[in-house]
Amino acid sequence: MNFPDQQSQHVICLLGITRSYPAGTTLHTILNNVSLSVPAGQSCAIVGTSGSGKSTLLNIIGILDKPTSGQVFLAGEDMSLVSEDARAKVRNQIIGFVFQGFNLLPRLNALDNVALPLLYRGFSRTIARQKAQLQLERVGLSERLYHRPADLSGGQRQRVAIARALVGEPELLLADEPTGNLDHDTAEDIVALLLSLNDKFGTTLLIVTHDEKIADRMERCIRVRDGRVAEDRYAPR
Amino acid sequence: MRLDSSGVTVLRELHENYGPSWTYLFIEPLENLRLLGRRAVLALLGIAVGCMAVVALLNIGHNARVQAMSVFKGMGSDLLVCSIQPPQGNYTNPPPAVTILNATLLHQTLPNIVSAAPIISMNMDVRLKAHTLNISVVGTNAELARVLDLDLSMGRFVSRYDAHSTYAVLGAKVQSEWRSAGISANVGDWVQIGDYLFEIIGVLKSKGSTPLVPVSPNEAIFLPVESMQRIVPNPQISAVVARHPDSRTLDSGALHLQQWLSTQFPGFDVNVQIPHQLIDGMAQQSRMFSWLLSGLGGISLLVGGIGVMNVMVMNISERRREIGVRMALGARPKDIARLFLLEAVVLATAGAFAGATLGLTASWIFVHYSGWQSFTLSAISLPLGIGSAIVTGLFFGLSPAINASRMSPIKALRDE
Repeated sequence: MNFPDQQSQHVICLLGITRSYPAGTTLHTILNNVSLSVPAGQSCAIVGTSGSGKSTLLNIIGILDKPTSGQVFLAGEDMSLVSEDARAKVRNQIIGFVFQGFNLLPRLNALDNVALPLLYRGFSRTIARQKAQLQLERVGLSERLYHRPADLSGGQRQRVAIARALVGEPELLLADEPTGNLDHDTAEDIVALLLSLNDKFGTTLLIVTHDEKIADRMERCIRVRDGRVAEDRYAPR
Repeated sequence: MRLDSSGVTVLRELHENYGPSWTYLFIEPLENLRLLGRRAVLALLGIAVGCMAVVALLNIGHNARVQAMSVFKGMGSDLLVCSIQPPQGNYTNPPPAVTILNATLLHQTLPNIVSAAPIISMNMDVRLKAHTLNISVVGTNAELARVLDLDLSMGRFVSRYDAHSTYAVLGAKVQSEWRSAGISANVGDWVQIGDYLFEIIGVLKSKGSTPLVPVSPNEAIFLPVESMQRIVPNPQISAVVARHPDSRTLDSGALHLQQWLSTQFPGFDVNVQIPHQLIDGMAQQSRMFSWLLSGLGGISLLVGGIGVMNVMVMNISERRREIGVRMALGARPKDIARLFLLEAVVLATAGAFAGATLGLTASWIFVHYSGWQSFTLSAISLPLGIGSAIVTGLFFGLSPAINASRMSPIKALRDE
């Protein structure tokens, strides 16, 4: 399949993505022939009502899920062709995830939670912890290094999760409703933190949200409706 | 890491040296189990009990065999033991007592038997320098020393020329018992047996006894068989021990000896035993016994293994979300499989070593209180017990671990 040459340089490039699940005798289609590309360094919101397919889109971009048909290019490489091991490596090295439910490992303290991606990359524990500490300091949690997730507030947990997503210095930060479980003020802080990271380090930011106010603060907003891209608009500069 | 214009080369580069370091690979399961707490202890207990059963049963079996074998130790494989008993039920008219074994005739008739000795054994008071011991007095002939491999620490054994002499040979323990009473029994001293005085002509070296031979050489005093008539009215030969070096004809030799003895002891029941065959039988029996015990141990290990599987399956289904998170953070399927497999192996190994220690302690206590000889370690029990426990953990941990690694990350993450 051909695509414009300039798009091959984009960090994300989706071509004709369809995702459907068998539901009883029929096929339930969640994404229907979606194509889009995101250049490096962009901040982009994916909005839509629940059930519109926006989370599935994010999971496919994060290669947690496989499309039924279509191709996913990350950093120019076709992810539908690589092995499960290679997909794990890409998740580790190109992508940082921030989930709505934080998804911290409850039995590890903040420091070890953040160090985990580096350990899978083959770093020694000492170095991984050093880098994790640096990252936790960057998100303002230098006082909470040895707290378990249960001893942290929601906002603090999400900061730990963001530190974990960033510790591997990923090209791409994927956030699925990162403020969904947080109160208004904390949500503001988290969005500001994500945007500042995008601004300072040029990390491509993809954020799934149903909050229009958050979406308005991004450079670009993609609206998904019934499994299709209904609107793709850039914020006025 | 920044992506440059050619992202593909960067990706290739990243594929080198990926995956957790070896030390972390082992630290992580340990910490996970520590955090798992009581549940891990329960699984560990299952494996420990299994391993303990294997180790304890193998060791007890081994010690039982050693004990049984020690009974026969030092006895030649060519020994024949004949017991000669008055017929049962016929008390009113007992056959005439036979005191003398015609050894010359025996050797002529049965050339395969190189030596044979009669035994007349009685418990009597034996007096030396006003100190009396109640010990067994054995009438025999010169050939007993060869049949039972007796060595002397001083003097000589009775000879074929001593038939009419009042000579006696002491067992090693008899001499030491008198010595502990402050009396030295030496060659040339006179002991009183019944109404007669016997001169000590020799003292035996210490020698192990076996219940198959009706004499324990350490605790007896030996006289020429003819002298028994001086102290007992009608002494009766109760046993004949013989050596038959040709092992191929041992069975027929035993039969011929029995037939010949039946003619020499008319009216008596003559029974010939071949200890060698008994030992073989016992060895076979104890082999079967230890297989049985290992089987029992294997069953307990199986139960322990199912315990490990249970814990791992529970563990994995409870940690589905964690598996999803780990996958999202870059764990490969093999990293997940390795994590859970190593958790199972760590559990099984810890259980195995705890079980081996308990098993050794249990078998030591058993051996100690059953009054057997000192405890000997069965060399195979430790590698077999520990090895099979670890293999059990590996086997039962494998399928849950592989299932975990095959989970799709998005399904695992969605699990609430």
